[in-house]
Amino acid sequence: MAPAPYLVFDGIAKYFGDLEVVAPTFDLAVKRNEFIVFLGPSGSGKTTLMRMVGGLETPSTGEIRLDGQPIREPDRDRGMVFQSYSSFPWLTVAENVAYGMKYRLDLTPERKEARLAHYLQLVGLSDFADSYPNKVSGGMRQRIAIARTLAAGSDVLLMDEPFGALDAQRREDLQIELRRIQQQDAKTIIFVTHDVDEAVFLADRIIVFSKRPARMLEEVDIAAALGPDRTLELRDSERFFKLRTEVLKFVRAAAGHDN
Amino acid sequence: MTSKATVSTAAMVKREPATTPDANIPRAARRSRNQFFAFRGTLSRRAQILTSICASLFVIAAWELSTRLGWINSLFLPPPSVTVETLWTMITQKHLLWNAGVSTLRVWVAFALSVVMAIPIGIAMSSFRGVGAALEPIVDFIRYLPVPALVPLSIIWFGVGETTKIFLLWLGTFFQLVLLVADDMRRVPQEYVEIAYTVGARPFQMLKDVAFRAMLPNLFDNLRITLGWCWTYLIIAEIVAADNGLGFVIWAARRYMNTSEVMAGVVTIGLIGLLTDQILRLIHKRYFRYL
Repeated sequence: MAPAPYLVFDGIAKYFGDLEVVAPTFDLAVKRNEFIVFLGPSGSGKTTLMRMVGGLETPSTGEIRLDGQPIREPDRDRGMVFQSYSSFPWLTVAENVAYGMKYRLDLTPERKEARLAHYLQLVGLSDFADSYPNKVSGGMRQRIAIARTLAAGSDVLLMDEPFGALDAQRREDLQIELRRIQQQDAKTIIFVTHDVDEAVFLADRIIVFSKRPARMLEEVDIAAALGPDRTLELRDSERFFKLRTEVLKFVRAAAGHDN
Repeated sequence: MTSKATVSTAAMVKREPATTPDANIPRAARRSRNQFFAFRGTLSRRAQILTSICASLFVIAAWELSTRLGWINSLFLPPPSVTVETLWTMITQKHLLWNAGVSTLRVWVAFALSVVMAIPIGIAMSSFRGVGAALEPIVDFIRYLPVPALVPLSIIWFGVGETTKIFLLWLGTFFQLVLLVADDMRRVPQEYVEIAYTVGARPFQMLKDVAFRAMLPNLFDNLRITLGWCWTYLIIAEIVAADNGLGFVIWAARRYMNTSEVMAGVVTIGLIGLLTDQILRLIHKRYFRYL
């Protein structure tokens, strides 16, 4: 028996005034601990859909349910990682990560301390705990944001092109690391990108979007083809390359998909 | 052309100092000379201070010479030497420091009042559409009223005591400041706000812990600049209705064509401004070390 879906998009459409951003209707069921990538051209409504999960936008029609509960507003069970402004410049690395727990009354100070150390370690920032974000690399700044959402106790990570501003090498490192963290900490992730390689490497399932208004054009089951473990060797394999080419075709079709 | 080349060389030097191409000129020397006029170039702290001092000395020397050489009648523009001398006699015999203290106190009281009011109102204006829509036309209208034009009304309302002076200073800064604060708040990245909400902050916690903190460096800068305007209005207020303060001193000296005392009064204001600004810059540098 298949497990009950964890995160459900049910009959979603979104309009900003007359502007149709998400075409009626978008439906998707996400399993717990699934890594979903929203892939599509920039300026399509995929980010808007992701923001709805965060409670930062409300759907014009339909609703999104997390564990059966309709999402109404942001809360710390759904953490955000942005491409830029992803950490606070006035806090040190450790303080930024600890900020994720600032409003948690269920944790004792000792417990917070232990969690802070744990997540700094997990994202490899222990040695930079007392640095300010402007003194560390762009890749480290994104790690701060990831660690913050983990420390906050988010079950769902919403990532809006988080590695978009990084160079190729750092990008690859962080992708491997993110996948590892996701497996280890059992997180559900919705990751928005327009980079096909990144999508194929990270995803369990890719949703390919059209240009605005966003509609789902394809659904590609990557987990079935590549399995859960994503390594550098995989990235250079024939299997990966084939899959990537296939997805790229869909994306090209999406780009040409005019109304 | 040259400046473009300089910038790119400087960038290269920064990244890999070992592989600079060229040259017969020692690298350090060439760099320091070029950097002086390079667009957004770098200049060492020592060179900057030296430049500041030299420029100031040059202005003072030109001023001194212009009267010494008889280009300008020293009755109209007393030279620095006379001004300093007068400054000294005013300090020792005419309670200049006390008057300066009175003026400074007025500025700070009025400014504090402006700040305390402008920060919450400015934040509310940019955070809540309704408040912004309600207040913006009013603020914009009053902001353009010249303070001197309101002096007569102010005297009718508050008499010639301290209230009038504080009111005029407040009037001159509050309405400007409120818009600056609103703008600073508007410029806080939406991402910061959303990070706060997605880790479970309530709106007030978001405002206090994130939005206010994020706007603080810009706010501090704006306060520093606005504080300078206070002095402009202070002199107007003290000229019209006061029997102490630097504005009064300057105006009283004018009555007897005592230009060197006028100049000494003006210089005092400049020195207070210079000192205040340097102290505030230092605080800014200390407190916002992360920038």
